[in-house]
Amino acid sequence: MRKNYCEIIRRELDERMLDEACSSSVLEHLRDCADCRDFHQKQTKLRRMVGGIGTVAAPADFDFRLRARLANESNSATFHLQSTYWPFVRRGLAVAAVLLVFATGIVVVRKIINRDETVAIQPRIIIDPAPAPVPAHKPEQFTAANPPSSPQRIKNERPLQTNLKPRHPMAAIDFSSQRAEVINGLEAVGSTTVFPLDTSLQPFKILLDDGRGNARTISVPAISFGSQRVLRNANSFAPKDVW
Amino acid sequence: MTVRRLISIVTLAGALLCNTAVFAQEVAPPKKPAPPRRPARVNVDKSTAPQVVTIIHRLNGLKMFRLLLRSEEQVQAIESLDSAFNLMSDVHTNVIAGLAMDDGETIAAWLPEADFEPDISVIGPDGKRLEAKYIGLDAATGLSILKLADKNVLPASTIKDQPVSPGEDVLVFGPEPVTKARALLGGNLYVRMGAIQGRIKNVMTSPSGEVAKFKVGSPRFSHANVGGVAVNEAGETIGIVDGLEGSEATILPAALIRRAVQRVLEQQASVPRPWLGVKGEAVAALKLEQILNRGWEMKRAAALAGKHRGIMLTSIAPGSPAARAALRAGDVILKVDDKEIENADDFTWWLDQAGPSSSVEFTVARPDRPTEEPLNVKLSGRLDLVFSFDLRNRDITTNGFSLIDQGVETIALRAPVASQLGTTAGLLVVYVEPQTPAFEAGLQPGDVIQSIDGKPVSTFRLTTPPASFKFEVIRNKQKLVVTVPTKKK
Repeated sequence: MRKNYCEIIRRELDERMLDEACSSSVLEHLRDCADCRDFHQKQTKLRRMVGGIGTVAAPADFDFRLRARLANESNSATFHLQSTYWPFVRRGLAVAAVLLVFATGIVVVRKIINRDETVAIQPRIIIDPAPAPVPAHKPEQFTAANPPSSPQRIKNERPLQTNLKPRHPMAAIDFSSQRAEVINGLEAVGSTTVFPLDTSLQPFKILLDDGRGNARTISVPAISFGSQRVLRNANSFAPKDVW
Repeated sequence: MTVRRLISIVTLAGALLCNTAVFAQEVAPPKKPAPPRRPARVNVDKSTAPQVVTIIHRLNGLKMFRLLLRSEEQVQAIESLDSAFNLMSDVHTNVIAGLAMDDGETIAAWLPEADFEPDISVIGPDGKRLEAKYIGLDAATGLSILKLADKNVLPASTIKDQPVSPGEDVLVFGPEPVTKARALLGGNLYVRMGAIQGRIKNVMTSPSGEVAKFKVGSPRFSHANVGGVAVNEAGETIGIVDGLEGSEATILPAALIRRAVQRVLEQQASVPRPWLGVKGEAVAALKLEQILNRGWEMKRAAALAGKHRGIMLTSIAPGSPAARAALRAGDVILKVDDKEIENADDFTWWLDQAGPSSSVEFTVARPDRPTEEPLNVKLSGRLDLVFSFDLRNRDITTNGFSLIDQGVETIALRAPVASQLGTTAGLLVVYVEPQTPAFEAGLQPGDVIQSIDGKPVSTFRLTTPPASFKFEVIRNKQKLVVTVPTKKK
């Protein structure tokens, strides 16, 4: 209990100014407590010594010099970081460069392969990135976005597809119920005029009976390129050895 | 440290060089056409095929069934179908090249299937759709002829009628799928015009001395190139691919294409090819034993085989011009209008030159006659020539009554398929010949005949046809009765 009281008294002595008088309770305690009296005498002596030292004025460019020094220290820190991480950074750059070389090589090889496979028509073709709206006074200029009503179309065709969003060829999607309507826009891929073919992609299977108890399944491809017959010997116009 | 820096610098420099190469390829201006010499590669400017258009030909379910009837599949009935199969909607799409002639409005194309009312779209070189009208088929060449509604939508092109020479380099243009674009741009199939380079290997001349066909070789040819347009170094059209044998494409020359176009445009309709009604083989291709088997005695057979000329007939179609002229199997046709026949191509050529509905004089050698004798034959014309196409031999629906004779082509449906079409088992009408009583009565493709005169088609028997038939049909799941007057044979 006494010890706590001594701490309170010493804190009050600390907070007291040099020329400020002590309170009666402090004076009373100092008379009874030799330790605190000793503390008070040493502190008073120290304060007087410090108070006797003259003031030191800061130079006029202190602020500028301080900022310059701080900036200098900051640069030193960055350089330190660079010197620490530079090997890693450089390796990363080297790896990135190698990857870039590989990617570029792949692009070059694919371009060369494509060029060998296909000589595409290009220079005179005007590539329209998007089909221009057809002027009302030129109804004969049909575009994919504005297909004409062809007179040779089958009569019982289903309604034309109005949703021209690309459909993904998932096996679960039944494309056959949608008309293989033609062109829904022009798009340029590479340097060749490319157009989408909006048609079913799934082949059909038909199980036939030949009348002698034999069943046979034939598969009809949904799409073919070139003049390839879908069925064997169907309507051949130039059969061999037949006149 | 120095080595590492060096590696980094070399790597970066390599990447920079590669990128430069890529961009240099992309921005390189088109090369100028080379002088008309014969370099190692074709110097055709990529713009030299404005005469090639893309043709999209569609077959709906009914047309597919009609093809089935006319194929070698021996169809008695349809047992089952994919549920997605639709009679009135497209079940097959064919994408082929079309040749725009130099008049700027006529297009010739080699459609893969015989289709007399084709559902066709024409896409110009710039990818825009062109309105076109189907004019007709030239059966001699197999070319279909179309006419554009607008004459000035295609740039002028050049067609080379002059002979070609072996060794010339050519490009064969044709539409092709763009599989990469499909992955890049979405699920749709994308199409562009591509070309394959080849070289003329062989030129076959006709008996009259003009180019009948020529062959172009390329290891990259496939059946997808059939129908493609062949263009020479100068960008001139020189022909259309009409067949493929191994790695060699057979080209129908431009001069013959031009004649086919003229024939169809003059008629404004399909032009049949001359029809004699025979099957046969060139004597030069026969063994002596085969000649003997046709009734020829040894001495004359040996003499015939030694000449290596003529066509030996192996079968005669009943009711054909050949049958009417009393030609028989075993006869050998040696000449057509005094032109010697050495092989099948010669025979085809001279018959085609004579044309359908013309009269020709054959010089015929017969196994039972000691001397050659002249024989006058009046040819007829047919659009299709394969004997198996005679559907009259396949009409198995009823005894004594032929729907084919009534101008109606049908295909039997088993119960599961019929239920898909909203009916019970019956006969699906796939074609009704125009200007027949059935056509006039309103019978339509897509109808399913359930009964004739009240009897199910499976049990219908008739020996003496009445004045008319009552067809009970299902159309759009509605029951109708169509009364069809009997067509006289």
